[in-house]
Amino acid sequence: MATTAVPTTLSPHATLKPDSNSGVWGWLTTVDHKRIGILYLYTALAFFIIGGLEAVIIRAQLQGPNGTLVSPETYNQLFTMHGTTMVFLAIMPLSAAFFNFLIPLQIGARDVAFPRLNAFSYWVYLFGGIFITVPIFFLVAPNGGWFGYTPLTTKAYSPGINIDFWVIGLQILGVSSLAAAFNFITTIINLRAPGMTLMRMPMFTWMSFVVQFLVILAFPVITIALVFLLFDRFFGTMFYTTAAGADPLLWQHLFWIFGHPEVYILILPAFGLVSEVLPTFSKKPLFGYPVMVYSGILIGVLGFGVWAHHMFAVGMGAIADSVFAVSTMLIAIPTGVKIFNWIGTMAQGQLRFTTAMKFAIGLVALFTIGGISGVMHSSPPADLQQTDSYFIVAHFHYVLFGGSIMGIMAGIYYYFPKMTGRLMNERLGNWHFWLNFIAMNLTFFPMHYSGMLGMPRRVYTYDSGQGWDTFNLISSIGAYMLVAATLIFVYNFFASRKRGEIAGANPWGAGTLEWTIPSPVPEYNFAVLPTVTSRYPLWEGSEKDAESARINSQEGKTAEELGIILPYSTIKPMIVALSMVVMFCGLITTMALTFLGAAIMVVSLYSWLLSPLEPEHH
Amino acid sequence: MKGNSRLRQLATFGLVALAVLALGACAAEYPNTTFQPKSEFARSIDFLWDRLLLLGTIVFVLVEAALIFVIFRYRRRPSDTSTPPQTHGNATLEILWTIIPAVILIFIAIPTVKTIFQTQAKVAAGALEIEVIGHQWWWEFKYPQYNIVTANEIYIPAGRTVNFKLNSDDVIHSFWIPQLAGKRDMIANRTNYIWFTPDSSLGPAVYNGFCTEYCGTQHAKMRFRVFTVRPEQFESWVAGQQKPAAFGAVASAAPAATGTPTPPQSGVGPEGGAARAVPRPAGSVIPGSDSFPAAAPMTGASTARLASGYTFPDHQPEFAYARPNSTIPANLKFTKGLTGNAARGQQAYSSSACIGCHVITGNPMSQGIVGPNLTHFGSRSTIGAGSFPNTPAYLALWLKNTRAMKPGSIMPTLGKNEYDPQLKTTVTTGGLDDQQIADIVAYLMSLK
Amino acid sequence: MSAPAAHHYTTTGLDNRKIAIWAFIGSECMLFISLISTYLIYKGRSIVGPYPHEEWTSPEGRHFEPILDIPVTSASTFVLLMSSLAMVLALAAVQNKNVPKRTTGERIIGSSKLWLWMTAILGTVFLGFQAYEFTSFVHEGLTIRTNLFGSSFFTLTGFHGAHVTAGVIWLLTLLAIDYRRGLGPNDALNVDIAALYWHFVDVVWIVIFTVVYLIQ
Ligand code: HEA
Ligand code: HEA
Ligand code: CUA
Ligand SMILES: [Cu+2]
Repeated sequence: MATTAVPTTLSPHATLKPDSNSGVWGWLTTVDHKRIGILYLYTALAFFIIGGLEAVIIRAQLQGPNGTLVSPETYNQLFTMHGTTMVFLAIMPLSAAFFNFLIPLQIGARDVAFPRLNAFSYWVYLFGGIFITVPIFFLVAPNGGWFGYTPLTTKAYSPGINIDFWVIGLQILGVSSLAAAFNFITTIINLRAPGMTLMRMPMFTWMSFVVQFLVILAFPVITIALVFLLFDRFFGTMFYTTAAGADPLLWQHLFWIFGHPEVYILILPAFGLVSEVLPTFSKKPLFGYPVMVYSGILIGVLGFGVWAHHMFAVGMGAIADSVFAVSTMLIAIPTGVKIFNWIGTMAQGQLRFTTAMKFAIGLVALFTIGGISGVMHSSPPADLQQTDSYFIVAHFHYVLFGGSIMGIMAGIYYYFPKMTGRLMNERLGNWHFWLNFIAMNLTFFPMHYSGMLGMPRRVYTYDSGQGWDTFNLISSIGAYMLVAATLIFVYNFFASRKRGEIAGANPWGAGTLEWTIPSPVPEYNFAVLPTVTSRYPLWEGSEKDAESARINSQEGKTAEELGIILPYSTIKPMIVALSMVVMFCGLITTMALTFLGAAIMVVSLYSWLLSPLEPEHH
Repeated sequence: MKGNSRLRQLATFGLVALAVLALGACAAEYPNTTFQPKSEFARSIDFLWDRLLLLGTIVFVLVEAALIFVIFRYRRRPSDTSTPPQTHGNATLEILWTIIPAVILIFIAIPTVKTIFQTQAKVAAGALEIEVIGHQWWWEFKYPQYNIVTANEIYIPAGRTVNFKLNSDDVIHSFWIPQLAGKRDMIANRTNYIWFTPDSSLGPAVYNGFCTEYCGTQHAKMRFRVFTVRPEQFESWVAGQQKPAAFGAVASAAPAATGTPTPPQSGVGPEGGAARAVPRPAGSVIPGSDSFPAAAPMTGASTARLASGYTFPDHQPEFAYARPNSTIPANLKFTKGLTGNAARGQQAYSSSACIGCHVITGNPMSQGIVGPNLTHFGSRSTIGAGSFPNTPAYLALWLKNTRAMKPGSIMPTLGKNEYDPQLKTTVTTGGLDDQQIADIVAYLMSLK
Repeated sequence: MSAPAAHHYTTTGLDNRKIAIWAFIGSECMLFISLISTYLIYKGRSIVGPYPHEEWTSPEGRHFEPILDIPVTSASTFVLLMSSLAMVLALAAVQNKNVPKRTTGERIIGSSKLWLWMTAILGTVFLGFQAYEFTSFVHEGLTIRTNLFGSSFFTLTGFHGAHVTAGVIWLLTLLAIDYRRGLGPNDALNVDIAALYWHFVDVVWIVIFTVVYLIQ
């Protein structure tokens, strides 16, 4: 195994090719943040496709009134898994792909703080994702909605195995997110290159930094909510048993105390990516950098004080309603500042409309729509008409698809060369963007109307003559177009990986640190730890920046030649992750499995912790 | 060029938006629209909505306009070789676009809070009390002031404040009549209230109600109907509902309708000959299921209504939206041309599983409380919580295989040799044959 | 985790693990806040007894004393507090391993082994108390399935107990290393982190003891 630690020079696009660099085994045992980031990227895109297909079936069922494509039971599993998949298995991990790949490069580090823990996070995510996704293929998937309200999800009303997959699956995924968050917080606090002060950090790293805090503070809450549900379902506790006097709102509060910060966990990384793309293609530094930082932090903080805006219909009373209404509205202010500062960044610049730029602008244009409908929900009386109708569905797809997905797509087109050494095809990219942009609006804009015209969400069918037919038809057509758009992207991605034109270190003429090093990035990232004296070392840097940039940009040196020590590759994190998931599987099969898994986990964990991370320094 | 198509994009959206909004105002096309408030509650929400829409649109237009302007004005031209001004920010601007949204939000927050307190104020005395209890997947309605218990349909007098007391018997449901008020959740261990006053100007009309909190398999088909009626019609309806099962009433009223009376106990026994001769008032022909969804005519129904208080006249074209049109399972068939006999039906009903779950006041055998109260079943316009029109044809199929008609429903499959998708078994002994079902249909339909 | 070799540059000069453990503890706070607030929300919501501080007679006429036994738990709380003290001394012992004895200033009272054992044992004693408490509650008729109080009480204290158990195992691991090759100043950080965790778990218990046992 130690041999895999001996770095070999990378051919262009090597980092993307599983068979490069000591083969599949190399990927199973890698602790290199770049390769782990790429693993995240592939896995999350796969889950995005699955979640998308579920959505397309949903749209096919709702295309016309009295649809009979799928049974009610199947439909309920579809929307539950669609939401769960998109949120936990697609967007969060897509962000994680960028955390992994980018953060060390942006702050001038050789790797994350805990490379093996990083590998562990990925494997837990992969196995957890498989665990929660497989049931849909046997139509025994979770069917309680993505926020699994109790008492519906308790054994009394969901006796089947479906919800068990959901409870346990989310528990597993939580472990992954938390482990990753501790890792990145440490990395950002502690592994910044000399001179990389907090207020010089690239905006993506900043937003990721905020997100990690949201994760470590929000995930424990849903962990506990899920533990209660798990105990109720498996050990007969009564946390959600209304017959025993339980309060059905306990779950809702716990879930949304997690749930609202979660939505900012989903959007802030996209905001960060856009804040990298816009300056580069405007040839101007980010407008109002400090305000962008503070607004990001403020969004994160306020995000913890608004959860009950998901509960305006539960009858909290006038005072609570008013308080949460106002706190919710406040969030519009820092978010608005971001929107305007992005426009300010473009103003007076020289805009180059690459695909990445188009997607970034797409986010600014579309997220604003979703944000505004969000503010419309924030007025409780008005929300009493909107809540649980398609108007809400419209809102969160504008912020999630128009926001998160658009931003992530911008990021993929922008950083593809850094990952693979090759550029993505711009012509196909152009098609992808416009089809995506038009189809996205076709799909989700009509939902504003079907919602305000009385269509409840989560209905597997509806009567004709309710005035919803046309809007649903348009939405469905849009969804079909999105398939085409996504297929173009998928093709472009793989084709460019093979045949895209060679990019070079800095194809876009960008200014931040990650562009000072070769593409694809050598295993050790930086030949010398750079010394940073400004926010855009390549644009406004001093002699110092130029010097380290010059050294770091030269290709072909191996870590050995440079005397850089890299951590050993190791399979242990993966074994621990696997045995942990096995342990959880025991809950729904046989306890024996649980003990087996636990045993293997403990043993492999010890051998991991007691084995050295890397060769001794000599 | 790209920019242009982008511009066209936004333009078309603007237009579509306006066009549809205009349509949204037209209730016939959009029976569940929230843009046509029919109560002071809905109207105060609509006022807020207009405010939100206006300010939202202003923000939207400003942002997108600024964006488009920047896109066109500052796109790189071939001539550009110099680096653009490397501005890092602008304090005044940034303060400005922090203040402006804040101000806009104040204009939203103030009416919001006002409306919150106004709509959640204590209800005025003398309001009509209606208790609503959510069940998977149907609605139980109680009028404590008139001790009426009914299901899936409510009558409310225009102009009188109604105070709904909301509870759930199982999971969380949510109560929504889009044209009359916002939503309020129905939660076990917790009593919620929502009250509003339907405009006194309202004539007799029907409104669709929905369950809007996901509550399991048939959340989609947990619907109800609301009839706003004139006060005197309401009184008449109440009088009718307060009577015990109107089966007797039909019988006694029957002479007025037709020559031959139908004493409740007649026509019993194996020799159904006499019973078959029983004319329509208490019976009803059930057409073969291939003639669906055309409903079988209920001759004499009107006379029955006379005896049983006001009920909202069925099948009026302007209220077609309140008539369910769910498709029925293709493989579910019913013998053509059977005539049901209400008297035999009562017998069959009273000795079948039905009584375990349903109450029919006036039928001492029928005391079950799990399912909807059927006392005045015949006077209702839908079955299965708004799943199907309440006609003999649909009812027959419903009784034959509920779980095929409404998958997941708690009411079991009753028809002989029918497959129960939940129990995964075929009903054999104790199952009802088509003739028995026809009789029960006749019985239930006669409960005005 | 094995220490990254000393040559690794860090921005703050602190070791990564030190920062990570603080992040971890922050996260753990939210975990226990959720548990404790649930306990408080459900306090007094149970529709059947037994109850924490009040007597209860069941419809069948069975009589239940108040469940919580404050004297006993005070004792176990004291034990846990003492274990924190032992932990402090253990850390001091490790840090000053090579400091010659009898030098003024850091005067070592006992070896790292002694104090690590002490901490681990006191922790185990605390767990013993908890085991005793749980079993006696079950005998008195309160299980995790009895009522909301039972569910939330056992889950909350059980979670804390699990944390203590993990801590004890951690301490024993350190002891194993100590016996194998002796813990020296360059292991101080490992012990320091274990100590941080141990003190945190201790503080959490103080809160639980106050909220669950003392406040009626
Ligand atoms: C990426 C995820 C994301 C983001 C960023 C947001 C952002 C916001 N959301 Fe959204 N929301 C969701 C994802 C998200 N939401 C999801 C998934 C749900 C549904 C969950 C479920 O039920 O399944 C939901 C539901 C939801 C509800 C509950 C609705 C209901 O169920 O009844 C509410 C209510 O207040 C709300 C409000 C807001 C607000 C005020 C913002 C604000 O942050 C928006 C701020 C942004 C802007 C306002 C635009 C830019 C600002 C300007 C241009 C300045 C000027 C603007 C004004 C002065 C108005 N959201
Ligand atoms: C980031 C999150 C995200 C994203 C991106 C999406 C994307 C989409 N969503 Fe969804 N959605 C949610 C999050 C998201 N959604 C959530 C949280 C809910 C709430 C769930 C709940 O109520 O519990 C929801 C609910 C929801 C509903 C409401 C269901 C209901 O209430 O009954 C609908 C209905 O139209 C819908 C539609 C869509 C569509 C058409 C897309 C499209 O944008 C999808 C586009 C993607 C694709 C089309 C994939 C492409 C597929 C291929 C390319 C396949 C072919 C290729 C190969 C085989 C290689 N979503
Ligand atoms: Cu009841 Cu949805
Ligand atoms: Cu929210």
